[in-house]
Amino acid sequence: MNRRNFLTLTGTFTGGTLLLPDFLHAFGAQKSLVIGEQCLVFIQLNGGNDGLNTFIPFEDALYYDLRPKIALSKDEVISKNKGMAFHPALKSFATMQQNGDLTVIQNVGYPEPNRSHFRSQEIWQTASSSNQYLNEGWLGRYLDLQCKEHQPTAGVNFDSIDNLSLKGNEPNSITVKDPSRFKMRTDSDDTVKLSDNPQLDFVRKIANSVSEGSEEIQKALAKSTAEIAYPKTGLSKNLEWISRLIKGNLNSKVYYTSLGGFDTHDNQLAIQQRIFTELNDALFTFYTDLKKAQLLQNVTIVVFSEFGRRVKDNGKGTDHGTAAPMFVIGGNNKGKIMGNNPNLSDLDNGDLKYEVDFRSVYASLLQNKMNFDPAKIGIKNNPLNGLF
Amino acid sequence: MNSNTLWSLRLGFSGKQSKAIEKLGLPKFLEQSYVAPFDTKIPELLNNSPKSIEEFRAKRKELKSSNPDTLKELVIKEAKVSQEMKAWWIDKMITDEFPLREKMVCFWHNHFVCTFQKVKVNYWIYQHNQILREDAFGNFKSLAKKIVKSNAMVRYLDNVDNKKDKINENLSRELLELFTLGIGNYTEDDIKNGAKGLAGLNLGEDQAQYRRFIEDNDSITYLGKTGNFKIDEMIDIIFEQKAIPYLLTRKILKWFIYDNPSEELVQYYGDYFRKVNFEMKPLLTKIFTEEFAKKNAGSKIKDPLVYILQLTNELNIEKMNSKLLVFYLKQQGMDLLNQPNVKGWNGGKEWLSSQVYLQRNNAADLLCNGKNLTRRQMNTDNEMMNETRNALVNISLQWDKKGNNKKIIAELTDRLLFQTDENLQKDFETLLKYDFNPNSEGANNAVLRLFNAIVKTPEYQLI
Repeated sequence: MNRRNFLTLTGTFTGGTLLLPDFLHAFGAQKSLVIGEQCLVFIQLNGGNDGLNTFIPFEDALYYDLRPKIALSKDEVISKNKGMAFHPALKSFATMQQNGDLTVIQNVGYPEPNRSHFRSQEIWQTASSSNQYLNEGWLGRYLDLQCKEHQPTAGVNFDSIDNLSLKGNEPNSITVKDPSRFKMRTDSDDTVKLSDNPQLDFVRKIANSVSEGSEEIQKALAKSTAEIAYPKTGLSKNLEWISRLIKGNLNSKVYYTSLGGFDTHDNQLAIQQRIFTELNDALFTFYTDLKKAQLLQNVTIVVFSEFGRRVKDNGKGTDHGTAAPMFVIGGNNKGKIMGNNPNLSDLDNGDLKYEVDFRSVYASLLQNKMNFDPAKIGIKNNPLNGLF
Repeated sequence: MNSNTLWSLRLGFSGKQSKAIEKLGLPKFLEQSYVAPFDTKIPELLNNSPKSIEEFRAKRKELKSSNPDTLKELVIKEAKVSQEMKAWWIDKMITDEFPLREKMVCFWHNHFVCTFQKVKVNYWIYQHNQILREDAFGNFKSLAKKIVKSNAMVRYLDNVDNKKDKINENLSRELLELFTLGIGNYTEDDIKNGAKGLAGLNLGEDQAQYRRFIEDNDSITYLGKTGNFKIDEMIDIIFEQKAIPYLLTRKILKWFIYDNPSEELVQYYGDYFRKVNFEMKPLLTKIFTEEFAKKNAGSKIKDPLVYILQLTNELNIEKMNSKLLVFYLKQQGMDLLNQPNVKGWNGGKEWLSSQVYLQRNNAADLLCNGKNLTRRQMNTDNEMMNETRNALVNISLQWDKKGNNKKIIAELTDRLLFQTDENLQKDFETLLKYDFNPNSEGANNAVLRLFNAIVKTPEYQLI
């Protein structure tokens, strides 16, 4: 990405300040506390991850009372600390916490929670209130104001389909299915057969090469190498690409990817074990990779889900709930456990009451990491103090 | 995909006629398309353009005596008229109840190519276009005669320079190579001799006519026959040739159904075309009704016209500026009345490149977000804030509020995608989840986002 077109606010942009709109002008003149190119990496856990079996109140008798079939025993949980402990599959989360690189923010949610996946994701992705309907994502709005002209790689979404979070007025983001196929078509591609329909094949090959910014991505990939072996899972692959783009200086502000399968109405123990292992291994490899490259302080990784799950189990699973912990890794966060332990005795219709509004976490990310006033995109919540 | 929608797209420019095809059945729909009335009035946009040879000569005089600035102005004025004519034509494609006639006009216009760029007289271009409209479902042979004798064509293919003792072979060559027999079915001598037969066929009042002093009355040998042949006799001889039906049937199959039609099909329909004496109606009816029964969806890459008109129709954009559409088509490599050369657009894979696909996606993104295709300067109170923004357009998408997420996805894909598969379905269900509430306040926007994703898939590029 062309740096001159992006107001990084790091003092490199001086020559053209007179041409800036007023509201950015004020920022351009501000001295920055942020050092180096910062970026945010979001990992969205689709389906509503059960927070209580992720970061576990293992000393709370109510936890065992309410979850007779799926509670994890004191002997299983790991990295015990002030009544809370990690799911055994999240052993590297514990390591990152012990290294001081991971913050757990407890009881994150929002007022009047919506228990529909669809709607709750929409709320998280637009940072709207519960009764407000926005058609542009919070990151899309942020990039609209931060990019002087549209910058196709200001946000990169690794998924098979576009993401509402990054949708803005201008096309400042792209969705990448598989960057290795993300290149200009060459004649040799003609021999690759994707389907039985030659016309469809042809269009698919073009579609793979299509996107503004594909050249920048290719350049960044060419400049970086894979120095560490990632596990062979979908999430790992995406994080590996993100790492290569960061190391290759693509200079995107936001990377986004997701992991599905968290909708554990049944068979929760087995599902979480498997899916947490994938999350844990992928994330820890990514973390190690960035740390080795001495980039972890510039990269803030955020792990969240659209909601937590019902406190009481429904047998072998759990139904849709509300508040859940959110994880922040890297970016010089303080590495703490923030907020009270979940209060299982004071519930709202069987669900946890939120204590931290997710938008105050967003506000903190924008304010502290991006040096951007969250009010400009309609986030009025105060930044969460003490995260960075 | 619903086959009525598929055929509405094939026989028109959008899914708009899907219901009519379903209700009438294809044969009746075709019958009504053949007899539907069409516009024969000279459009107002030509009010100030010269029409008769006299007016044209006066204009030329005026041009010659003008200073360079006025000359430039006049040239720009006529170029604007040409743009207006394209918009006038697109309006017909959009509003006709039975757009098959305009689809055929467009086919013929890409067969008997004549561009304003070369011809430079809007009225002649209009006449050429109008012949194609009147004879859209007529007889190939008589249409060929009329078109070669149009002022536009004799100018476009340089027959105005084809004179006795100063032969220009251009029209003679394309008549055989591109308009009728196709390469390999004639000799270079046929072209030379044909040019002699065409010599002197020059601009005339309403159509081209032979000029006594420059025509060549030598006896010629043309495709094996010897005599004093002029254009009509030449075309009669051409239509006696064995190869005559196939080039056109192949092009018809390519225009409507298959990017790569099999030679068996070309032969099969071609033989029939000869049997019905090159009448278009029976040929079209036979092809469409027989192909309708086959599973052949996804055989053709949409041309830019169908791509954009389907999109604006789906989004129910009523006041779309046709000139914007004209400009968009040009960007997409389908500038009406202005093909890059006499061969016309080749279509098929040539419709799509990375650049064109990207433009298609950008257009889809803009329209799905209620923004028009071009930007314009927006002035605000704050001078610092001057910027270009897209003008807004009203959009509305039809979908059944009674459905759940899967039903809505099925409803949309049924009329938008020639096929869908598990992967697509998974992606679409990520956008519209099982607990999507169709009656919630933001529901319309959510379905629009789904629609937006659907129209950006490779599958949407095919019909």
